[in-house]
Amino acid sequence: MKEKWRLLKTEDNSAFTNMAIDRAVMVENGKDKAPPTVRFYTWKPPAISIGYFQSLKEEVDLEVCKNLGVEYVRRITGGGAVFHDKELTYSIVISESHPLVPKNILESYRRICGSIIRGLKHLWIESKYAPINDIIVNNKKISGSAQTRKSKTVLQHGTVLIDVDVDKMFKILKVPNEKIKDKLIADVKQRVTSIKHISGNNTSFNDVADAMKIGFEEEFGIELVNGDLTRKEIDLTKKFEKECFSTYEWNYRR
Amino acid sequence: MQLKSVYKIPNGKLLKIILDYNSKNKSINNISITGDFFAYPEESIDIMEEKLKDTLLIKENLFEKINSVIKKYNIEFIGLDAEGLVEGIFRCLK
Repeated sequence: MKEKWRLLKTEDNSAFTNMAIDRAVMVENGKDKAPPTVRFYTWKPPAISIGYFQSLKEEVDLEVCKNLGVEYVRRITGGGAVFHDKELTYSIVISESHPLVPKNILESYRRICGSIIRGLKHLWIESKYAPINDIIVNNKKISGSAQTRKSKTVLQHGTVLIDVDVDKMFKILKVPNEKIKDKLIADVKQRVTSIKHISGNNTSFNDVADAMKIGFEEEFGIELVNGDLTRKEIDLTKKFEKECFSTYEWNYRR
Repeated sequence: MQLKSVYKIPNGKLLKIILDYNSKNKSINNISITGDFFAYPEESIDIMEEKLKDTLLIKENLFEKINSVIKKYNIEFIGLDAEGLVEGIFRCLK
């Protein structure tokens, strides 16, 4: 019999809530109070998340964010700034000691990204892992991920681009050299793709989520069972949202 | 004196350093290490910044200090390394 993991689908949450849910599930899993969990989610309104080590003011034009109604939040994972708009975001929370997760960090990136690659295959898209943390289709990035490990628990979250608006993304992101911004945008347009660009179709979040569910099940040989956050996870989410992710101290710490 | 550098680590990530240094004795007053790299545990960058205070801006010294902190706190970098950190710091001075 296949091992059962929990599947959460939580659409349309704020940036603060999304990051708080990932952390709440991670904390509960670390206490053996939550099973291995895969979550598929979206962001409403669109948001920019920055990596744990990035400087918010250096990376993000906060005035533009305000004008466009785009939220921002610092993640607990490293990596770069991501504009979350038309995408499926996934997260997986699992014990570091789980036999299906490699102890080596880079190996575990590869393994978890394997689920996304398999999921994309179910959308008729052939992709491959590009170390450190990307998945590419014809040398163009379609997915990026970031991982942290705390209290013997692994959290990896990442994006699967359903559609992408590079021009809008660069209105929000600051670049080190304004003089080469146009070239940079042109470069990024050449290096980033999405499900829509490849298939030519408008694929819904639910269709992508269904494909990714199968991807995770096949990669890990498990069964994902629809579930909900526990009462404790909901309480912790509210706590982390209020005391961490929505605070000036957290978001401006670098 | 406060200086900045942006340095793409070869085969790694983009490192951005803000350095506040004592120009008289060429030592670090304060350093902020930012970028899109990964470090495990994440708190290790705060520790690194703290431990680099008062370190002389001599390549060998810096390299040794950074490696000793990596070893002592069992830090794992991805997309960043000791050589890259030293280079990023020295690019602030150029």
